[in-house]
Amino acid sequence: MNENKQSAVKRFLSARGMGAVVTAFAGLVVIYIAFGLIDRNVFSGQNVMNLLRSMSKYLLIGVGQSYLLITGNIDLSIGSMVGMSAMISATLMTMGISPAVAMLAALACCLCCGVVNGVLVGKFKLPPFIATLGTMFVTRGAAYMVNNNRNTDAIATGIGKEAGDSFQNFFYYGKTLGIFNTFWIALILFLIFFFLLSRTRTGRHIYAIGSNVDAAKLSGVNVVATTIKAYLVSAVCACVVGLILCAQAGMGNMEAGNMYEMYGVAAGVIGGISPLGGTGLLLGTFAGAAVWQTLENGLNMIGAQVGIQRLVIGIIVVFSVLLDVVVRSGNFGKKSS
Amino acid sequence: MKEVIVSMKNIVKTFPGVKALDNVHFELRSGEVMALLGENGAGKSTLMKILSGVYTKDGGTMTIFGKEYDNLTPKQAQEVGVAIIHQELNMCRHLSVAENMFLGRERVGGVMLKNAEMEAEAAAILNDLKIDINPRQIVGDLPVSRQQMVEIAKALSIHAKVLIMDEPTSALTAKEIDELFRIIRKLKEDGCGIVYISHRLDELKAIVDRVTIMRDGQYITDGDFESMTMDQIIANMVGREIKEQFPRVECEKGKKIFEVRNLNAGRQVRDISFSLYEGEIVGFAGLMGAGRTETTRAIFGVDPKTGGQIFLDGKEVRISCPMDAIKAGIVLAPEDRKKDGLCTKLSIRHNLALPNLDLICDGLGVIRNSREDKLCEDAVKNLMIKTPNVEINAANLSGGNQQKVVVGKWLARNSRVVIFDEPTRGIDVGAKVEIYNLMNKLKQEGIAVMFVSSELPEVLGIADRVIVMCDGRITGEVMAREATQNEVLKYATEFEKKQVS
Repeated sequence: MNENKQSAVKRFLSARGMGAVVTAFAGLVVIYIAFGLIDRNVFSGQNVMNLLRSMSKYLLIGVGQSYLLITGNIDLSIGSMVGMSAMISATLMTMGISPAVAMLAALACCLCCGVVNGVLVGKFKLPPFIATLGTMFVTRGAAYMVNNNRNTDAIATGIGKEAGDSFQNFFYYGKTLGIFNTFWIALILFLIFFFLLSRTRTGRHIYAIGSNVDAAKLSGVNVVATTIKAYLVSAVCACVVGLILCAQAGMGNMEAGNMYEMYGVAAGVIGGISPLGGTGLLLGTFAGAAVWQTLENGLNMIGAQVGIQRLVIGIIVVFSVLLDVVVRSGNFGKKSS
Repeated sequence: MKEVIVSMKNIVKTFPGVKALDNVHFELRSGEVMALLGENGAGKSTLMKILSGVYTKDGGTMTIFGKEYDNLTPKQAQEVGVAIIHQELNMCRHLSVAENMFLGRERVGGVMLKNAEMEAEAAAILNDLKIDINPRQIVGDLPVSRQQMVEIAKALSIHAKVLIMDEPTSALTAKEIDELFRIIRKLKEDGCGIVYISHRLDELKAIVDRVTIMRDGQYITDGDFESMTMDQIIANMVGREIKEQFPRVECEKGKKIFEVRNLNAGRQVRDISFSLYEGEIVGFAGLMGAGRTETTRAIFGVDPKTGGQIFLDGKEVRISCPMDAIKAGIVLAPEDRKKDGLCTKLSIRHNLALPNLDLICDGLGVIRNSREDKLCEDAVKNLMIKTPNVEINAANLSGGNQQKVVVGKWLARNSRVVIFDEPTRGIDVGAKVEIYNLMNKLKQEGIAVMFVSSELPEVLGIADRVIVMCDGRITGEVMAREATQNEVLKYATEFEKKQVS
């Protein structure tokens, strides 16, 4: 029994790509402690809670984008889907439609986008960058059109203050067991998608088509279906983030989620997910999202400007990939000429 | 005696966990062809990568043209005249022949490329080798054999004196090989030293002067080719006597399992009809481009069919994608390992499990570790895949072991028909025999085996019946035991009569 357990732990740690994950987590600890030494408030319980909540969005986006990166594709429409989800749910709620129905409507629209992305890339073999660039504009356009090119009013004006508050609490302001609900939602989705990717047939297929799509096809993998599934995952993640942003603001903002697709790429890449496909662990995305948010949070706490924040994050992204490349080439004993 | 141009002594190279080279000696003289022989994983490629500066040695001395090098870089190696022609050609497919030959050292006048000058020089070199290729042609449009000629021309254009060829003939037809050998002989006359790595032992006698034999990272012996018998060479390579190069197993021919009727799929697959029976291996012979691979792909549902029927155990099966074929019990081990056979970035475990996920998943599609472990364990044991564990990347295995993974992933299933497309290409003698034994085992189990190969001796040695294709059609069928190579070749070159009177 004990031996069995040990081998499970060993198997877990020896998983391919775990090195990058461990590095990212180590980086996270270093960054966190460094900021904490400058400003003790970084360690405060309240700050930790805020940090967990704000990293939730990046975590979800990162998970969605990582699925695509592992298949060797990309989804540029994630940010726009976030905006569309926020606008559709908010608009319906201002019309007095119940939050549950509004959420389902937002989810349905996002899933449709996911299918379209998946079909364009998987079935019609469009370059994913181009296909999702198109859907990115389309969905952002849809987000604008939902409420006639205006942001929505407060959702409470439609569904009433009580229902509005409970919606906002559920997704953003409320706590369960002392931790913000936002984090719980993100964590649960993360665990589901983590399991899906690492332990199921679909997950294996996702790695396989990212590694060698021809070989996967000849092994009986349905490439089109698998591609669509990956895009559906990013659509679900985008939808939930849209709902979180809607709850945070208590209204729909047409520009919600702008640039999020790139934040997703960054979170994945910091966590060791190769944009070339076939490799990477979702645990790395978790670390990546946490690194990002800790940086943003820490820089905020010590009073750095937004410009500095972006600059530092950009450097971290490049640096983490650089580190990966250097370490990997070192492994193979190959020298650069 | 000809002068020694490369001398490597006591070379040691260690990779994390493996000693790839242990005290290896190697010597090359000018104007000779040195065959470097050994099974896959013997360390031939590693040794040559050290000579061409790709790897740095951990110990020993290396002298090239009388000068000792400790940390040779690829650039230095090029400057002293060492050129390597890899098994997988390193060409920019979208660029022209001349552009490829001058890649990285383009002639520039001011800011403009001197295209005319480069093309003229490329033409001169090609002409010197009597290779008829237009320097302006796009490399990707040339057949593999011609691309290889361009590689050689490129090596000569940088005045290479030491030319390393890794499996240069593995993708060539007999005629193209003759052409290659003509060029090699010419280079020899010009005083080049050529290192020739090949698994096709029968072709050595046409060109080789001396051999160096390696096994498991160690130097075994070297000597004049003339003074050694083929049996000695093989015994030295494998470290044991191989009793039979082509072990054949006798089986009772049983009932018909599989039938293809009037299969059509494009220009390369025209009106193909044949049957496979229990207890026999059916070889498919033919020249490159005869449509054999295309036929396997059409049967397996990779490429669309334009007509024809497929019957399994008397019942018609419809196959429109590989999944249909797999479900019906027809599997394919494809020709190109790296392109179609393996996910090289994934572990051996994931590769073996990929087509069998339905067997190792529970009802919800969740993978059961214990079942996966069992599957991998069985495959590694049954196929004797040489690997420290199943978690390492498939890309890190030697060719023979990669091929075993490609084959192994299909054997966990209860298949009725197994199609092997060039299963022994680029793998060593020992591994070849293991693959043959595997096919024999399938045959004994009553599974229909379709065996596509371009090497006539092995088709005639292993298959029971041989179907010959030419230009997308079946042109003949012979019983392997009674047929001669000439007979098969006659069918293989039976092109349709064009309007030649």
